[in-house]
Amino acid sequence: MKTYFKLFRQFILRAIARDRARSVITVLGISLGVGVMLAIRLANATSLDAFRAATESIAGETSVQITGATGHFDEMMLSRMEWLRRYGQPSPVITGYARAESGEFLQVMGVDILRDRGLRRYRLLRLNADESEPTARRFLLLLTDPESIILTEKFARPRGLEIGSRISLTMGDARREFTVRGLLLDEGPARALDGNFALMDIAAAQWAFNRLGRLDRLDIKLAPGLDADQIEAEIAARLPAGLQVARPEEQYGQVERMIAAFHFNLNALGSIALLVGLFLIYNTVSISVITRREEVGTLRALGTSRSMVLALFLGEALLMAIIGAGVGIGLGRLMASAAVLATSTTVETFYIATVATESASRHSVGLLEVLLAFGVALPLALFAAAVPALEASRVRPVEAMRGAERLAESFKPSRKYLIVSAALFALGYALSRMDAMNGLPVPGYLAALALMFGGAFLAPNALWLACRASRKLAARSFRGLQVEGLLASANLGGAIPRVSISVAALAVSLGMMIAISIMIGSFRETVSYWVDQTLKADIYARPLVRTRATGEGDIAERSIAAIKADPDVAAIDSFTSHQAVYQGNPITMGAGDFDVLLAHGRLAFKSPADARSRLKQSIGRDAVVVSESFSLRFKKQPGDRVEMETEAGAREFEVAAVYYDYSNNRGIAVMDRATYERHFGRAQPGSLSIYLRPGADAEAVKERLARSIGSEHMLLFRTNASVRREVIRIFDSTFAITYALEAIAITVAGLGVLSTLIALILERRRELSVLNFLGATRGRIRRMIVIEAVLIGTVSQAIGILTGVMLSLVLAYVINVQSFGWTIQYHLPVAFLIQSSLLILAVTALAGLYPAARALKINALRFVREE
Amino acid sequence: MAALKGVSLSAEAGDFIALMGPSGCGKSTLLHLLGGMDHPTRGSVVLDGVALDSLSQEELARLRRRSVGFVFQFFNLLPTLTVSENVALPLMLDGASAAYGRERASDLLDRVGLGARAAHFPAELSGGEMQRAAVARAIIAEPRLVLADEPTGNLDSENGRQVMNLLADLNRTLGVTIILATHSEEAASYARRVLRLRDGTIERITEHEDVLQTL
Repeated sequence: MKTYFKLFRQFILRAIARDRARSVITVLGISLGVGVMLAIRLANATSLDAFRAATESIAGETSVQITGATGHFDEMMLSRMEWLRRYGQPSPVITGYARAESGEFLQVMGVDILRDRGLRRYRLLRLNADESEPTARRFLLLLTDPESIILTEKFARPRGLEIGSRISLTMGDARREFTVRGLLLDEGPARALDGNFALMDIAAAQWAFNRLGRLDRLDIKLAPGLDADQIEAEIAARLPAGLQVARPEEQYGQVERMIAAFHFNLNALGSIALLVGLFLIYNTVSISVITRREEVGTLRALGTSRSMVLALFLGEALLMAIIGAGVGIGLGRLMASAAVLATSTTVETFYIATVATESASRHSVGLLEVLLAFGVALPLALFAAAVPALEASRVRPVEAMRGAERLAESFKPSRKYLIVSAALFALGYALSRMDAMNGLPVPGYLAALALMFGGAFLAPNALWLACRASRKLAARSFRGLQVEGLLASANLGGAIPRVSISVAALAVSLGMMIAISIMIGSFRETVSYWVDQTLKADIYARPLVRTRATGEGDIAERSIAAIKADPDVAAIDSFTSHQAVYQGNPITMGAGDFDVLLAHGRLAFKSPADARSRLKQSIGRDAVVVSESFSLRFKKQPGDRVEMETEAGAREFEVAAVYYDYSNNRGIAVMDRATYERHFGRAQPGSLSIYLRPGADAEAVKERLARSIGSEHMLLFRTNASVRREVIRIFDSTFAITYALEAIAITVAGLGVLSTLIALILERRRELSVLNFLGATRGRIRRMIVIEAVLIGTVSQAIGILTGVMLSLVLAYVINVQSFGWTIQYHLPVAFLIQSSLLILAVTALAGLYPAARALKINALRFVREE
Repeated sequence: MAALKGVSLSAEAGDFIALMGPSGCGKSTLLHLLGGMDHPTRGSVVLDGVALDSLSQEELARLRRRSVGFVFQFFNLLPTLTVSENVALPLMLDGASAAYGRERASDLLDRVGLGARAAHFPAELSGGEMQRAAVARAIIAEPRLVLADEPTGNLDSENGRQVMNLLADLNRTLGVTIILATHSEEAASYARRVLRLRDGTIERITEHEDVLQTL
């Protein structure tokens, strides 16, 4: 062991220090891989943890919760639930969001303070040292005024708010003024959302959120000694129709399921980054072995064992992986914040978005993450270094002392590689025909993996073909490039066994980039076509602040009346929605005015063929139209029946039609407003589609509408054009993360070509010296190496395009459908492919310049004399 | 420490000079200086009236392509090029077309007895064949000077003799100046003048009246 460390220090550490640039690139590559992997994991954990922490701190000691089918219920129901007191202390709750003038969101909770203190801990800031903790009576007094609000100290202090300060909050479409009556210490619910929490009296909250006579939930703290499971079942059996009982923690499961598919996809992408690190380690150790064959020979001649040589080079990989993983942990933490942001936008749940982004920065790396980083990086590093390290251990003392065995004169790859490729492609095809497992596109990703490896196995034969073709082409090209072309193709042709692995790695990374770009390009085309087809209203309106995740029921009757009164308004289709649970999964239930939709609007229907007449027939009947994602997730087709929870208990609805929707991947079921109100009670709309009379100027009407509803109600009006722009903007920003991926792929291509060529050049030092003796100019040598770089880039990109296109088909038609329930109209972006190919060629050509400079520095006098 | 000191040597066109001496005496260094691959720290190398130290890197490269041919101990054929391509390389590096290079290489390979091996790769050749191909490569651009560093050092005596005969023949028929570094007395015997070097200085110069007489 002592000998090992001594040798390691002299033989490996000094070499690493000598070749600092390459060592740093490798370490960075590994840390990037580890970083991306950890970032995704942290982001994942962060969103869920934050959600859990917020839910837990707000839930307090709540054991069970009673909720309505639509997310709220009539407060008169309370009188029919007096028997609940037998189990423990019930406390009715109103929750919602409010927007401060500074733009921040607060979670507002309205409770009956006297009843609620048993469930949750509130501690008010003492105003001075001798003031004691306020009694319940004092607490109550603080809230008798409907304009009273209690903020957290954490929120108030930095904003200069004190007891007695006025604060203006927008809740739904209304702006309201409040007086700060108290400040909560950082404890209990006040801890949720990083202090962005406000407490009100329940009656004041009902008024502020325009939910008079309604309650959102009833929280119950069970008496000590009672079994929650058993009580939950007992309560469920006795509850009036339309009410449900659940445990607060059940929400996590729903959220987890909702984001599982998304994170699964991100993880798959993150694994490319690891692949990159693997490839860099392989290359670095290869270079290390190539350049030091003679030293290895000397060591062997001096009695060093094979296993010691193997251990030395594996140790080099391990050291880089350890440093890389260490740096990667830090990097991952930084990237996690960005990833959380991207995730939340896509998951499009306001609640999680707010919670997660605010707490991402606080999420620390735990022991588990550290173990994971090293647990993944170290074995992979050893795996990647195994081939070159074994090569080093097989160096015979004599052979190395006399100089390395030269490359084979001409290498013709075995046909076996082609057979393996074909078999993998066939396997990929078979896997792509399989169904999702537990809602996760596992076979889809396995198919993608099979296709990628199939592409990778094409590398040796593709390189051979390319070298032959370019050799022939070189002879016919103009004279200035003939010799460079000949030498470059001959060099690469002789190094196929070594270059193939690099080309395979590059091709995989480029293939992924191409596939994802095609998928996103197609998706964008699809969405913009869908927007074109379905956004037919002239003006859209929604409340400035959505008080809940789904933005339900917020536009005041007065505002709607004012809009209807406008002479240019022809019709209004109002949309109401609430979050519901179907078969244990969160979905959106909605209501629209089907007759207005039929007369003015448009939905892009997937099935059946006569969807419009089905829509017409469904007015007044228990029927729903469902989004494609709903249809795919729950396997429901037109004519099938779905059972939904209503205010009067479970009811069956017929699926009238399936429509395309790209706004929500959870699934939407929409019914006509009259049907909705019959089952779920009256509810205010959360958004309006306003159709104007022909010839009306949308911009002018928009301005007029904003004025006519007055300043008390805050509606956001948008014209058709601006909504379209907004949809595309949201789309682009959601997928912005993939540009980073593209950048990574291209950087990797550049770095890969660079390090591969350095390895090749080191291996060919003697040949390069001979060229120097034969009078090759610096320019010719440089051009030769750049041509080699471009050849590597071309073959990689060609395989990349082939596998990328196959992969994109799997992404669009298998993975995407299985994870999001969206059909994408496939669109092959020819211009993009040409442009990316040119970019790759340019980047690889540039990447060839550094190895060329290295080649020009070779001391020709030294190498021509070695055998 | 200087590899060569106070060495003064002049060669006429058509000369055949052998440099002899123990390893490290400066033979190869002298060849590298003559071929413009290295610069003397003091003094100068003049080829056809041109001082090499006045030339730029590019001019030196052109000089090596057109006026100097190298033959090495370990042949140094490029393993990934065919024999014909290897031989044509200096011409192609000088901008000649591949077709012209092939044609000239074919002539020369016939001359060195490797006409049938043109399409083979170096690894398929014997040591002697490789060295003859290397000689063909050295003279394809019709240089005025061929510098051979231990050309027989890696060959058996029969193949060594063949290569030396080839060099002597080129010297005689084409008038190419040949400067040879060697340990072999037999190889040196082909030269008209033999310079013995020791510790970087010329120890002794021997003149041969007639090369063929010594055989």
